[in-house]
Amino acid sequence: MSLPRLPLTVIGGYLGAGKTTLINRLLREDHGQRVLVMVNDFGAINIDADLLVSADGDTMTLTNGCVCCTMGADLFMAMGDALDRRPRPDHLVIEASGIADPARIATAARAEPDMAYGGIAVVVDAMHWGALADDPQIGAQIRGQVAVADLLLISKAEDGVPPALTARLAALSAAPQIDIGDCAAVAPLLLGGLAPLQGKREGGGHPAYVGWSHDGDEAMSRAALAAKLAQAPQALYRIKGLVAAPDSAGWEVQVVGRSIEIKPALDRVARTRLVAIGPQSAIARADIADWWSQG
Amino acid sequence: MSGITVFQAAKIITMDPNRPTATHVAVRDGHVLAVGDATCADQWGRVHHDDRLAGTVLMPGFVEGHSHMSETCFWDYTYVGFHDRIDPDGQPWPGLTEIGAVLARLRDAAARLGPDEPLIAWGFDPIFLSSERLTRDHLDSVTADRPVVVLFSSGHLMCVNSAALAAVGYDRASNVEGIQRRPDGEPNGELHEMAAMFPVMRRIGMDFRTRSHQRAYVDAFGRICRRSGVTTATDLFAMVTQEGAEALAQATARPDYPVRIVPAVSTLHSTPEEVRAQMADLRQLNHDKLRFGAVKLMTDGSIQGFSARILWPGYVGGQPNGIWNMPPAQIHATCAMMQQAGIQMHIHTNGDEASTVVLDALAAAARAHPWPGARHVLQHAQMMGPALFARAAELGVCVNLFANHIWYFGDQHAALTIGPDRAARMDACRAALDAGLTMAIHSDAPVTPMGPLFTAWCAVNRQTMSGRTLGAAQCISVPEALYAITMGAARTLKLEAEIGSIEAGKRADFAVLAEDPLAIDPMRLKDLPVLGTVIGGHVDALI
Repeated sequence: MSLPRLPLTVIGGYLGAGKTTLINRLLREDHGQRVLVMVNDFGAINIDADLLVSADGDTMTLTNGCVCCTMGADLFMAMGDALDRRPRPDHLVIEASGIADPARIATAARAEPDMAYGGIAVVVDAMHWGALADDPQIGAQIRGQVAVADLLLISKAEDGVPPALTARLAALSAAPQIDIGDCAAVAPLLLGGLAPLQGKREGGGHPAYVGWSHDGDEAMSRAALAAKLAQAPQALYRIKGLVAAPDSAGWEVQVVGRSIEIKPALDRVARTRLVAIGPQSAIARADIADWWSQG
Repeated sequence: MSGITVFQAAKIITMDPNRPTATHVAVRDGHVLAVGDATCADQWGRVHHDDRLAGTVLMPGFVEGHSHMSETCFWDYTYVGFHDRIDPDGQPWPGLTEIGAVLARLRDAAARLGPDEPLIAWGFDPIFLSSERLTRDHLDSVTADRPVVVLFSSGHLMCVNSAALAAVGYDRASNVEGIQRRPDGEPNGELHEMAAMFPVMRRIGMDFRTRSHQRAYVDAFGRICRRSGVTTATDLFAMVTQEGAEALAQATARPDYPVRIVPAVSTLHSTPEEVRAQMADLRQLNHDKLRFGAVKLMTDGSIQGFSARILWPGYVGGQPNGIWNMPPAQIHATCAMMQQAGIQMHIHTNGDEASTVVLDALAAAARAHPWPGARHVLQHAQMMGPALFARAAELGVCVNLFANHIWYFGDQHAALTIGPDRAARMDACRAALDAGLTMAIHSDAPVTPMGPLFTAWCAVNRQTMSGRTLGAAQCISVPEALYAITMGAARTLKLEAEIGSIEAGKRADFAVLAEDPLAIDPMRLKDLPVLGTVIGGHVDALI
């Protein structure tokens, strides 16, 4: 067996948008994955002592198997270090600095054969984003972050997301917009896993996601698979899995928002297995099943 | 008490206004004891006369206020740049002006590699080449049985051969921004930006993070400095780990290490207490040849890369304004924090908008946390004019201008980036001095080769590669330029009490020159041979 590819999710968004809050949530959630999170400012990560195995100068190890560290001198070389870790983490999450173009980081996951593209989630502060996007000095970079996002996570929208913000974001990006205040769990969005959907809920009564999983014996060419994924229901946040192929080892699929990534599978794929999630308000499990089963 | 050595020279240019020139300098305990004639130290006791430097011209050891020790890592690879360059061991590498010459040098290098070694080259700059574009086919013709990687001088691009593309699985199906393609959809070998380059670099072992502070590289940096007359050099934006800092401290501690290193570190900490604690830890490692204490901030990009933040009317080609590495709000917050923590900042600002924002931030920080001796330094500051220089003067801020840009990039700035009006007032040394500023000038090695006399030549003559004089009004005199590469730079590092001039009490750090820079034609300044250096009274072998 080859080592599985390391999926990379990049979290973008301006200073104070809520990236650190999101990461703190991710680290605490019960998602069953060993996630390695690389952050800019270690000091802001806030983990209860009883959830910590160890904490030294630049690395925290959690009881749930997650690790949080600073990226140090060189982000890309730090990615190499993450790939060289044994056991290899299940997922890598990188917090981009407030003004950074998250695509410059996430593109590495498309390029690196040992990585999988896990998407760009940009956190948008509902209270301040509009003014920042109009700022003559930083507006272009702020709008640019939204333009490259695969998922837009709206924070600080206690009274709902203002329609004007929704419209402005939609004009810049076709990415799904998700009010993270409404989400019971953030791990399914960032990691694409389905574990939290199995009836486990935290906090206040937002069912939020619908999950779909598929196990079948179909085999598809790259072109057929790409065409199929391109027709996936718009509302789906994520699709991932392995697809068998008629004349090759098969395909590894990562779909995040509007981004579709197909890489040759590292080991032969015997059966096609896929999972997908989307917002319960916009899509039903049957819609997803229909899309996949229709010729 | 150790002995007194009196060095004799044809001429000593002291940079001390009290005794501008002399013929002898007496050294004891690594410091200058006296300056004058052969008898200058007689009142101090028995002296030993040393005539090894007789016939040479001595100046204070040059101070390179903006360089990077990473230069030496690149010399592990084959240089294929357009400009002539000299490696740390003194071997000249002639510039290559067409692709055929580049390929010939690559073939030569390939022949000397071990069986599994990749072929890596650096410094390639197609902007200056009129021949066809370099592709994977050219590199396949060099060798097909191992990866070949040619790094471009900008650092943002590389060209690789088919073996390297195969190693990372890049082909027509790859959905990766940055893979450049032929008309038929196959990659042409050119890769743009780190995300696309990193998988290749990872597989051929290019990891510079800690290398430049290891002994062999620190030693090589010392040889580069000695060859250019530099006895104090900065390592700006040093990414240090505690381990790396300790390695650097050890490697520079030897009595014969030829240069004093002043790192300005990057910091990720976000409170004054944390930064203060980090710097206190690093300062523990300090000794005569190593001075931790300052930090570096990156605010914008480069003008030639169209990533500098510039004011109206922007770039002449209509390119969008550049990018912030730190948003203005964070520049303000960080400047306030460092000022409060009492830590000197070297702040990279290329464009005039970035310089303006930084001066705003420094003004606000100065009001909130008064510190008259802060002496922060705007590094590059290439588009500052009299109004911004006046503000810097009010704030006690220094500038370190990128004079080498005038020769290397001046023609491009006039033609392609900011146009002739603003190019003529770039790196405005005259205006900075007229504003009363402490001013240094620099090479930004390895961006351009280290060589303070070349840098001084640029500031004096403002000649571009095509031979035009770019903004004659901003030329400065030879004595002013020599001051900038000695006392001026020393002041930007807060080391002017120790170095920068040859006078009693200062460290005995000298540049040993073959001729008198004040007597020659100013157009020959860049060609004036440097014979070596003296560090703490220790004469380094004359080259």
